[in-house]
Amino acid sequence: MSFLKEIRLEDKFGPFLASQMAFGFIPNLLRAQSLLPRVIEAQAMLEDAARLREGSIPRVQRERILLSIAADRKDTYCIAMDSKVLSSLGAADGQIDDFLNDHRRADLSARDLASLQFCLKLARHAPSVSSEDVEALRACGFEDEAILEAVVVTALAVYRCTLSVGLGPGPDFGPRKLASTRIDPPREGVLHSLLPDIHQTARRKGPYVPAPYLSPKTFAPFGVVQKSHGFIPNFFRAQTLRPDLLEAELEAVGRVLLPEDVLTRVQKECILLVVSAANLNSYCVAVHCNILRGLGMPSEDGDQIAVNHHESNLTESEKALLDFAVKLGTRGSEFSCDDVVKLQTLDFTDEQILECVVVTALNNFANTVQMGLGIEPDFAPPPAFEENKVHLSGAALTPTQSEGAVYLVDTLQDADAELVAQAQAGKLEAFEELVRRHTQLIYRTLMAILGNPVDAQDAMQDTLLSAFKHISGFQGRAKFSTWLVSIARNTALQRLRSRKNIESLDEGECNEEGDFRPRQVRAWQDNPEQSHSKSEIRQLVETGILALPAKLRVVVMLRDIEQLSTDEVARQLGLSVPAVKTRLLRGRLMLREWLSPHFTASTKGAVQ
Amino acid sequence: MITCEEFFAEFADYLENRVSAEVRQELELHLSQCRACQVLYDSSRKTVKIVTESSSFELPLSVSDPIIERVMAKLRTDRS
Repeated sequence: MSFLKEIRLEDKFGPFLASQMAFGFIPNLLRAQSLLPRVIEAQAMLEDAARLREGSIPRVQRERILLSIAADRKDTYCIAMDSKVLSSLGAADGQIDDFLNDHRRADLSARDLASLQFCLKLARHAPSVSSEDVEALRACGFEDEAILEAVVVTALAVYRCTLSVGLGPGPDFGPRKLASTRIDPPREGVLHSLLPDIHQTARRKGPYVPAPYLSPKTFAPFGVVQKSHGFIPNFFRAQTLRPDLLEAELEAVGRVLLPEDVLTRVQKECILLVVSAANLNSYCVAVHCNILRGLGMPSEDGDQIAVNHHESNLTESEKALLDFAVKLGTRGSEFSCDDVVKLQTLDFTDEQILECVVVTALNNFANTVQMGLGIEPDFAPPPAFEENKVHLSGAALTPTQSEGAVYLVDTLQDADAELVAQAQAGKLEAFEELVRRHTQLIYRTLMAILGNPVDAQDAMQDTLLSAFKHISGFQGRAKFSTWLVSIARNTALQRLRSRKNIESLDEGECNEEGDFRPRQVRAWQDNPEQSHSKSEIRQLVETGILALPAKLRVVVMLRDIEQLSTDEVARQLGLSVPAVKTRLLRGRLMLREWLSPHFTASTKGAVQ
Repeated sequence: MITCEEFFAEFADYLENRVSAEVRQELELHLSQCRACQVLYDSSRKTVKIVTESSSFELPLSVSDPIIERVMAKLRTDRS
């Protein structure tokens, strides 16, 4: 029936029952996923929350949105299914045909037409959506909650179309033909011509809809995310207007991404990363690079996959899996059963292929939500990705018109690049200049790990010699300074090992933070730094930093002394951003305890 | 109003100025009514400022220069 094996699931399987109730039949799109019942549950949850549940946008209008996106993508499976659903809600066949063939003839209100235009634009080319489009919706009377719903319904449509392309389910009903005279809705929103003054409002940064604060203590799903991620990504925070929707999304994510019984978590994150990159979604690229780092992948490898996975050190079959996902996720019209067969001949099981399709669909769901809500980044994306990204903002390309995956030039814009090239060609002066540029960074890294100046200075010499010896192997995947820090770190760690008392710098339990609570509660002076001389303060700070556990010391040193950004520190140390944040806070709080007696209001001026 | 614990959960981001307007509002409401968190926030902010401006662990040129010179000399002799 579909591209992949199917097994028989009982009709009383929860999602099947729910479909039977909601639609009057069990869609073949669900049956096509029978090898992994948990992914059927994921889809059922998203459908229930975004499509079926009562909300600010009437059910009929939501069905129109789903149908018109399916029609825009010429997805015959979804067109047939969604037409059927729309007719079960009372729409006459003639009306549906009119709607499909030219929705200006379908007698819609200005409000319905506006949301349809918005959703089509978002589904076609999400990066072109801006705050102007959202403001246009507001001007038609849309409230925040309705805007959020419009975005999520669109994301659901994209999810379902991606599944239907990737799985090729047999039709539930006879096909509904699009007339050859069908008039495609205009490429650019008609909204601007309806509302000329919208054009003049300046583009605002996101997020486009307000999101009330939800506490991880009282909203259990956030508690779970906090625990598993170490923080709550803005992606979820931006949707708090509809906690029920959020809950469904988190449940779906949990069923699709977390189990490791088919594809590994790393493989799934790689899929999310490459498809997000092909969709030009910096937000999601940054998130997945960070998660990969947290899963132990060196940051330069993750960055390379984001920029161009063909040049990465993945295996050939993993690359083929990613090619499959990118094609499915961005060039659905070119995708066919042959792509599935190709993976099967590479020994991927049907379960693995199914999961890859679902992960790709979920990725497109997330990319759509992020762009539609203008969700602000949690982390900086890899510089190589950002600098080479082709900005298509404002362009009205459809996924099928674009050249598919936009492969990005994999040269890094690094201020050191030219000197590095010269040094690699053997020019010693160039090497010396590079070293002088980064002396402090190297020294502070060494000092942070070794904790005493004599050792650090010795190690500095070793670091420089080792850097020169290996410079020809530096491939420019990361910044040169990152590479230098990694050499310094290795040199210092080698020394530590020979010294016995090894303190691990790796990712991993820093779980003492649970019970680490600030003890000093006395208020500080207004201008504490004025009560001591500069050299006294420096002495105090240096002593305090050296007394920190090595893990925290390195982070504090690079962030607060060397003043790199949090993202940069994560990159340099190969840690995830949440891990860096946790350590940084702990280190800062310990320093606060240490400095407190010297700066509290009542001990003004007194050292010791 | 949020609890001290909830305040603390957002504290790292707040200190780095990386919270959304909505979260900021909640945190500031809490701060306006909780003396302990106020002290924690004020002193932590000052700690970061002091540490950042301390120019700690600066390797003076008088120390770094000889190291670099030594390395360069060795590289030159290795080459010839």
